[in-house]
Amino acid sequence: MAKKIPITRISKFFGSEDFSLEQDIGMEWLHGDMHFTMVLFRVDKKLSDVDDVYGESGVEEIRYHPPVEFNAQVEIADPQNKSYAGGLVNNMEPGNMTLNVYIKHLDELGVDISYGDYIGYPETETVMRYYVVANDGRVTSDMKHSIGGYKAFYRTILCSFVNENEFKGI
Amino acid sequence: MALPKKIKKNINITPGPVQGHYPYGYNGIVTPNRREELSDLISEHGTMLPKSVLHADLDRGMLDFVKDDLRTSVSGKRVPVIDRILTLQRWGEFSKTWSFSDNDKNVSLPFVVVVRKPEVQPGTNPALQYTIPDRKQFHYAKVPTWDGNRKGYDVYKIPQPVPVDIIYDIKIVCNRMRELNQFNKVVLQKFVSRQAYTFVKGHYIPMILSSVGDESVIDTEERRYYQQNYQLQLQGFLIDEEEFEVTPAVSRVVTLLGGENRNSKVNDTVSTKTKFEFGSSPGSTNSSKTYVTNVDLSLIRSSNIQNYVILINGNQVDEPAMVSPDDVVTVWITKVTPTDPAWITFQETIVR
Repeated sequence: MAKKIPITRISKFFGSEDFSLEQDIGMEWLHGDMHFTMVLFRVDKKLSDVDDVYGESGVEEIRYHPPVEFNAQVEIADPQNKSYAGGLVNNMEPGNMTLNVYIKHLDELGVDISYGDYIGYPETETVMRYYVVANDGRVTSDMKHSIGGYKAFYRTILCSFVNENEFKGI
Repeated sequence: MALPKKIKKNINITPGPVQGHYPYGYNGIVTPNRREELSDLISEHGTMLPKSVLHADLDRGMLDFVKDDLRTSVSGKRVPVIDRILTLQRWGEFSKTWSFSDNDKNVSLPFVVVVRKPEVQPGTNPALQYTIPDRKQFHYAKVPTWDGNRKGYDVYKIPQPVPVDIIYDIKIVCNRMRELNQFNKVVLQKFVSRQAYTFVKGHYIPMILSSVGDESVIDTEERRYYQQNYQLQLQGFLIDEEEFEVTPAVSRVVTLLGGENRNSKVNDTVSTKTKFEFGSSPGSTNSSKTYVTNVDLSLIRSSNIQNYVILINGNQVDEPAMVSPDDVVTVWITKVTPTDPAWITFQETIVR
């Protein structure tokens, strides 16, 4: 077992009980009141059938761990109106999605979000948009992700839109 | 005045043999051994035709070259090579680098990575440029065929391979100058003759070192590391087996005809038997009979006879003995036990 170091900073005003309380209040608000629910599709990198040279898989060749529902704070950027051929072949698609997810929540679910995993966001009752994790926010050393510098409690995950050619759900 | 020692006094102006097998040089008729060996490598483990060489095969060849020929070790530890051409698929990166990743799942230094420029340009391989127009098929091999009845051969034809140039950036990322030095030494030694070769499905594919660049991050306020880029140009070619053509050439039909040695309109046969008997005296060794019809004689069984001879009108014949009317058939025998009686029975097939 890894050696543990007690966190004693700002201990005059803040401690582990306070941290837990703040975290639970936040989770109650996010999960109970906001209740933005998404589906995480984690790529099974061992079982996926990859190409020998490029390590690529076709849509039907990627294997996934069982999908997991999770809650997060969601922010989706404006749709992008672009084109493929210098103004021709118009292509409009959703902007990037930014998720803020509690680390404790992921621990409770027993999952980790990794670079390249896919996330489904139910935009309406009939439309599910899929995104790929472009930055899994694994490193949370900055102050913004902590409560007053005590300890990090959430991760910011940046995702970009994928079309059905890359991923079309399960 | 004596000549300086370095000056050769005898110079052989006769060119030496091209190879031992051809003491007087290549005669233009018999294929040189080395060329046959190369041809065997190309068609090894397959048909008589070469196997396809496509982009992925060339990429694999480059990865193998970097992994094996540019192998670098520092302080007894090998610098790992990411054994994939990295592509857009994000999760694929980690699946090939996990073995040398840290706790944050970042790749540990040092490492070498091969990055292919996605665009593939028309090739500059001098052996292949613009010599045969319009994808014309040309003869590659004649392969003998036999389908049980016909003997012949197929002509295998293939078009000229398509020359391509592929640019690869071989990047080493490390923290120490000695790692850079070591890798640089290995690369420059490999390309000291300008070209190096990778081996793809029996073909030697040349590559040249285009440039060496430095992309190191040496900033006062950021994490520092060295990154150098060796740009290689692989002068390959594409062979697509979808374009091969196999056409039948000359074939020979073997027709076998069988016939009877007599003119018989009716196949019905009538046969009888005749028994030649010999007494118990040792001198009783022949017996005769005169025939009135055409018959064929063939042995059915015998007793106490070691061997026998059939004579027709005094002439020895083989079985089946063909007998005509008025022929005298004599059978001479040698007994097994000379003092015992013997007999021999022939089937007489009457010939109509």
